Amino acid sequence: MNNMEFSLLGLILLFPCFTAVLLLFTPYNMVKIIGLSASCFNFLLSLILWIRFDNSTAHFQFLESFSWLPSANIEFGIGIDGITIYFVILTTFLIPACLLVGWTSIQHSIREYYIAFLVLESLMLAVFVTLDLLLFYVFFESVLIPMFFIIGIWGSRERKIRAAFQFFLYTLLGSVLMLLAILLIYFQAGTTDYQILLTTNFSEKRQLLLWLAFFSSFAVKVPMIPVHIWLPEAHVEAPTAGSVILAGILLKLGTYGFLRFSIPMFPHATLFFTPLIYTMSVIAIIYASLTTLRQVDLKKIIAYSSVAHMNYVTLGIFSLNLQGIEGSILLMLSHGLVSSALFLCVGCLYERTHTRLLKYYGGCVQTMPIFSILFLFFTLGNISLPGTSSFVGEFLILSGVFQTNPFVGCLAASGMIFGTAYSMWLYNRLAFCNSKYHLFTAYSDLNRREILLFLPFVFGVLWMGLFPEVFLEGMHVSVSHLIQHGNF
Amino acid sequence: MKELFLNDFKLAIPELFLISISIFLLVYGVVYSTSNLKGYPILSNNISRLALITLCFSIILVMNHPIKEAVFFSLILDDFSSFLKVLILICSFTSILISLDYLKEEKLNSFEPIILILISTVSMLLMVSSYDFISMYLGIELQSLCFYVLAACKRDSEFSTEAGIKYFLLGAFSSGLLLFGCSLIYGFTGLIHFEELAKVFSGIEHTNAIKLGILFLAVGFLFKLTAVPFHMWAPDVYEGAPNSITAFFLITPKIAILGLFVRLFLYSFYDFLFSWQVILLISSIASMILACFAAMAQKKIKRLLVYSAIGHVGYMLLAFSCGNLEGIQALFIYLVIYFIMTINMFASILSLRHVKYIADLHQLVRTNPLLSITMGVNLFSIAGIPPLAGFCSKFYLFFAAISSSLYLGALIGVLTSVVSCFYYIRLIKIIYFESPKTWIHYSTIDKEKSLILAITSFFILFFFCYPSPLFIFTHKIALTFII
Repeated sequence: MNNMEFSLLGLILLFPCFTAVLLLFTPYNMVKIIGLSASCFNFLLSLILWIRFDNSTAHFQFLESFSWLPSANIEFGIGIDGITIYFVILTTFLIPACLLVGWTSIQHSIREYYIAFLVLESLMLAVFVTLDLLLFYVFFESVLIPMFFIIGIWGSRERKIRAAFQFFLYTLLGSVLMLLAILLIYFQAGTTDYQILLTTNFSEKRQLLLWLAFFSSFAVKVPMIPVHIWLPEAHVEAPTAGSVILAGILLKLGTYGFLRFSIPMFPHATLFFTPLIYTMSVIAIIYASLTTLRQVDLKKIIAYSSVAHMNYVTLGIFSLNLQGIEGSILLMLSHGLVSSALFLCVGCLYERTHTRLLKYYGGCVQTMPIFSILFLFFTLGNISLPGTSSFVGEFLILSGVFQTNPFVGCLAASGMIFGTAYSMWLYNRLAFCNSKYHLFTAYSDLNRREILLFLPFVFGVLWMGLFPEVFLEGMHVSVSHLIQHGNF
Repeated sequence: MKELFLNDFKLAIPELFLISISIFLLVYGVVYSTSNLKGYPILSNNISRLALITLCFSIILVMNHPIKEAVFFSLILDDFSSFLKVLILICSFTSILISLDYLKEEKLNSFEPIILILISTVSMLLMVSSYDFISMYLGIELQSLCFYVLAACKRDSEFSTEAGIKYFLLGAFSSGLLLFGCSLIYGFTGLIHFEELAKVFSGIEHTNAIKLGILFLAVGFLFKLTAVPFHMWAPDVYEGAPNSITAFFLITPKIAILGLFVRLFLYSFYDFLFSWQVILLISSIASMILACFAAMAQKKIKRLLVYSAIGHVGYMLLAFSCGNLEGIQALFIYLVIYFIMTINMFASILSLRHVKYIADLHQLVRTNPLLSITMGVNLFSIAGIPPLAGFCSKFYLFFAAISSSLYLGALIGVLTSVVSCFYYIRLIKIIYFESPKTWIHYSTIDKEKSLILAITSFFILFFFCYPSPLFIFTHKIALTFII
């Protein structure tokens, strides 16, 4: 690699961090502009990364490495392959949206808000691009600190501390077992470099133990039943932007961990535990969907539907064939767009009326027609209507799962029906019916900032739904390589 | 004739310098503070700053010692002891530095505590270079005597006096146990020199009598280290002593006693590794579990910090009980980072007026936002959350534990660190999110403390980016036991 060529990936990783430090010194009226333009610039850089990405190889590209602890043989290696590139783009796409959402709704500590999100962006990007197991763990856990502050400081008042605590402690408890597993791997292999660990042979019993430790950490993040309790609480109490980033990226960290680490490194254990994952995922899909029907809080409905969708993703990942895994990655991306957009819609409503309880809403289409159209579009995306990106993802997942286990596929397909049930019922109660105008005194439709905020999401969902091959062609080689690696 | 003793004074230059200056400062203080002519001046601030300069010179003397390695009389001079001496001197330096303003505010006008801190520092320097039982016991006793008085130095507070008495009783008791262990080993081997003990144990059979002696020695040391189940004196004593003295208590003796402990057990009693490893492992697991649950019930800040220090001692004992190179390296990394986090914590506590209860910290973010973020970062680091410095120390510790097959210890360590996370985050919650219940004081932080806070916070935040120097350095220090 030519020494003169600057590292695009390193720049994408560090640029938000530098901006966060810069924001400590900017005058008060320039904070928002500088923060937003920096995050948009980072998004453009990631698009350039996508353009320069080579689809034809499964090797890691844009490789860099910084030696972190040379005496212990741990190096901070970063690199992109076909699976990672899309998460990088999703992250850099969602952060400007988060910053834009808080443009008028965040009234206090604006500078700290922008700094927190930019630091969070750097940390999340580091999770996705790192090729070192220990540093993956470090960044995986370090996203907890900014999220804790975001939920605690800018959340809505009622139970936010309890939610922040639950979020923190649940994820930490699962992850420390993963730390022990990583140290055991390091002791056996002498290195934590991912590419070397892919070639390490772990004994079967040890694989089971290590897989379970990794599972305990990822299962909390996904979230799987029964460790999903932190998610509705955290989503409800977080500010809108916090919910967007939580649903959009932080849930994907768990499934990304499954895909990147559990499956290639422990193939025997993966096959051993696949029935467990199928059971838990199917239970989660059906149970979460049924729970959604009973909710009265808007954000909780979307939070529980997130649980159901993420368990679809794990179902697809553990089907261990090309369609299933590609479908799961596409569903992850689509869920990142659709769920985030749904949270943005709820955020718009909350900003106007400061309540999230469903019984106060009704007949929105009479007073907020543009909002209703957008909300309908994303609700249809949630249902996985053909033409939206979720449909492609779910269809591929179901076709993958049917190949391995038709019974599980049938049960999972019933999840689509439940999904339609709660989404349509929510939309019905919110947009149609009689307007409860005696409860509210003022209405306003979406302003220009909010419409411009939604348009990229609409574009993304339609693009992925109508021309998915653009996204899938980057994944083919990497995913096939992953499946072949484990001899599944 | 005089060539025989030419080098003797050169060997102990730092200790000799420090003790003579402390005697000189004592005389200076006594003469001038009782002088009618000068109007009975209060010399505590003056002597504190002179003590700071003295400690700086001592650090320079230790680092530029003319002789690098020597064994003389009952003392030894090598890399290990030099590193620990520098660390102890830096700890004393920072403890006195952060207490300058506190002494003025609390009107602790006597200068004798400073002299006692200097003398106890000398004793700790002698402890880490001790190489047989007599110098070890003398060093421990000198340090303990100074500490008994230091705990009681706030003369108008019953709390402080009670702390002094408790410390004295239990310290004397534990010194007695230590001495009994030494006497048992002397009785069954006839040796007191560490090097001779190391050589003799590889030949003789491992009788239970010697294991009994090792047990008493270990118990004596664990008493001094405030490890469970010998920790009962620690919360009361450390809480009763004035805040700045507690800062000194929490860090420096642990370094000195751990240094002594490591040298004695890892060098002399290495053949009995499997006996004392079990003792230390039990103590460490008990410390970790007790500390994380006991600290949850505390309502006072200092008691919470003391229990968290007991937990940290548990982790350090886990690192020590590995008994190999990585274990000692992990121990020293943990010690250095523990020192930095504790100094940061105490500098923050000392900057606030009238904080005794945890609830006094409420809404600190409104009056001192920068101090709140410093405390927040520090608390996350003490809890062991990546990517802060506390996590780096813990990960290497668990790595050493797993590589020595101490699976139970590692598992319990990891689980208790999650449980202890709860009350650290509760502190952060109180600082940031609690609604104010009473009037909120505001007091400015003086320059010395703010400098210490800045340096330590910078270290905690950015240690993760470049941890190599500390790791390589401690590796070199730990190698003195292998070679």
